[in-house]
Amino acid sequence: MLGHRRPDGRFGVRDHVLVLPSVVCSTNAAQTIARETGAVHVTHQHGCLHVGDDLRHTEGAFIGTATNPNVGAVVVVSLGCETIQGRRLARRIEDAGQRVAFVGIQLEGGTQRAVAAGRRAVDELRALLDDQPDEELPADAVVVGLDRPHLELRGALAARGWQVMDAPEGLSAAESHVALAGAGAQVIVSVRGPGEAPLGFAVCPVVAVATDPAMHAALHDDFDVAPGSVDEVVERVEATLAGEPTASERRGARDFVLHRLAVTM
Amino acid sequence: MTLLTGYRRTNGTWGVRNHLLVLPARTAANRAAEEIADAVAGAVAVTHEWEGAPGDRDADLVARTLTGFATNPNVGAVLLIGIDDTDLELAGAIAARGQTVQLLAMAQHGGTAGTIAAGREIAARLAASIAEQEREPMPLSALAVGLECGGSDALSGITANPALGIASDRLVAAGATTMLSEVPELVGAEEILAARAINESVARRMVAVVHDFERSVEALGVDIRGAQPTPGNIEGGLTTIEEKSLGAAKKAGNAPLTGVIEFAAQPGPPGLYVMDTPGHDIEQMVGLVAGGCQVVAFTTGRGTPTGSAIAPCLKISTNTQIFERMAGDIDLDAGVIVTGEETLQSMGDRIHDALLEVAAGAPTCSERRGNREFAIRRTHY
Repeated sequence: MLGHRRPDGRFGVRDHVLVLPSVVCSTNAAQTIARETGAVHVTHQHGCLHVGDDLRHTEGAFIGTATNPNVGAVVVVSLGCETIQGRRLARRIEDAGQRVAFVGIQLEGGTQRAVAAGRRAVDELRALLDDQPDEELPADAVVVGLDRPHLELRGALAARGWQVMDAPEGLSAAESHVALAGAGAQVIVSVRGPGEAPLGFAVCPVVAVATDPAMHAALHDDFDVAPGSVDEVVERVEATLAGEPTASERRGARDFVLHRLAVTM
Repeated sequence: MTLLTGYRRTNGTWGVRNHLLVLPARTAANRAAEEIADAVAGAVAVTHEWEGAPGDRDADLVARTLTGFATNPNVGAVLLIGIDDTDLELAGAIAARGQTVQLLAMAQHGGTAGTIAAGREIAARLAASIAEQEREPMPLSALAVGLECGGSDALSGITANPALGIASDRLVAAGATTMLSEVPELVGAEEILAARAINESVARRMVAVVHDFERSVEALGVDIRGAQPTPGNIEGGLTTIEEKSLGAAKKAGNAPLTGVIEFAAQPGPPGLYVMDTPGHDIEQMVGLVAGGCQVVAFTTGRGTPTGSAIAPCLKISTNTQIFERMAGDIDLDAGVIVTGEETLQSMGDRIHDALLEVAAGAPTCSERRGNREFAIRRTHY
């Protein structure tokens, strides 16, 4: 099994260039850059008029997503006047050991020029990543995020020599995916109950495990594992680590939902 | 002068655009909604961060926002992408406001792929059906224009904002509705607006929304100065929130203040309103559009490409440098007031005319670029 070794010693099981808007106002430019280059991108509604803990937490969530080991390089797309200054965000991502390019819409002189600069940046970073040879993925470098407590599943995943990481309490499923990715999980196992549809995440494959037969029957295409078999979950995670796309990756789901700590000003 | 035309809706409202909105009821439906709208001419989608978890205390606010957005008169029909029967409630709320809405539940199509396949057919049919409707002469009393500013600078309160105020006054005098918003950016200007209220109750409400906001910030125990003014505002020459507010309030001209309404709520009879929204450009724009604004006028000093999926957004720069630097993102330059090429009055008239031209069908920069930012406002944490 092969992975992508990062400068800090961690391993990615994907090798994404992430186009990250620092603010909702640059999400359209970020999306255009990603669509035209095949990079992954995040769409979100944040980055401006946060205060206090909510400001630090939001910036932390962006940095966490950008430094997930599945991300080999990042293009930060900024507007320019936002509260979470894109330039500073890019510097902090770089300080965390990540490759970063910065594009500012106001700096470049509008959307069109920013998109052109962003495309060039993605292409350069992509070429850099493609030059790096894959390396053998050690079992103890694998971190599987579990978005809901599940002892049996936890035990089965840990028995393979993988680290299993639990989501912080009090978060919704999609919010917990941001937290797990930020803490370094390369694969997220998402346990979905009655009434809960599967989710995806931009930089991590999400293995959607159904626990409710009716929900699985209704949304079978979007689930990876039917209710019942823990062994099958382990097999799906194994295949995902080896590069096989999850249902979330096949449909291109990138659901980014940020847990907020305070109201927007 | 431009003859105002629009699409007459069966519920008595008038649209200035005729979109098919593909709306995800919850986050898990985002992908299907995006793909369906991409495949069908005349369809637009937004995506959002509302998971719809049971017991979420923001459920009513989000339902009002999504319902208001989906029933903006610029939307000719709605294809609501839901997960299962739970989403019938939202579909029902949209239908109750007289909107054509069809719920497509992913649970009946095996997931995203099947939903996209089925959704494309339904969307194509709905798009063809609304495309048959033609523009008719539209009364000005049916037009509501949002008054927004984003990325303000030291010229905002001198050029673009007062010029927009002149345009707003002309619209209100002719019987239209305009809506000022962003309560955090009215801190310090509340008494000026309250003095123009049509009655004592509106005046009290005007002062109350600003004071409530100030109290909520105190309760958070944070210093608002970290967020207001923003780093971009400060670089642009603004020093305090009060200074920013006095400039921001100028967008509302001198018309009497008819009412103060909640986020995403509908205004009453025509006139000038203040909507209780945050300063955040996109949460604010979504609130205004959910409240029925068919057009948004947006002044900017630092420059932004922002737009709405369903409402044309006419952007007006406060200075000529940013207008030239961000060619293709900004529609009008009010910086020429400083150089003397236009007066406040003549610029106000130009903005007024441009708003009517946009309402009559002229595309804005954000429509050409496809800017469709969207945000869900939350108040519980």
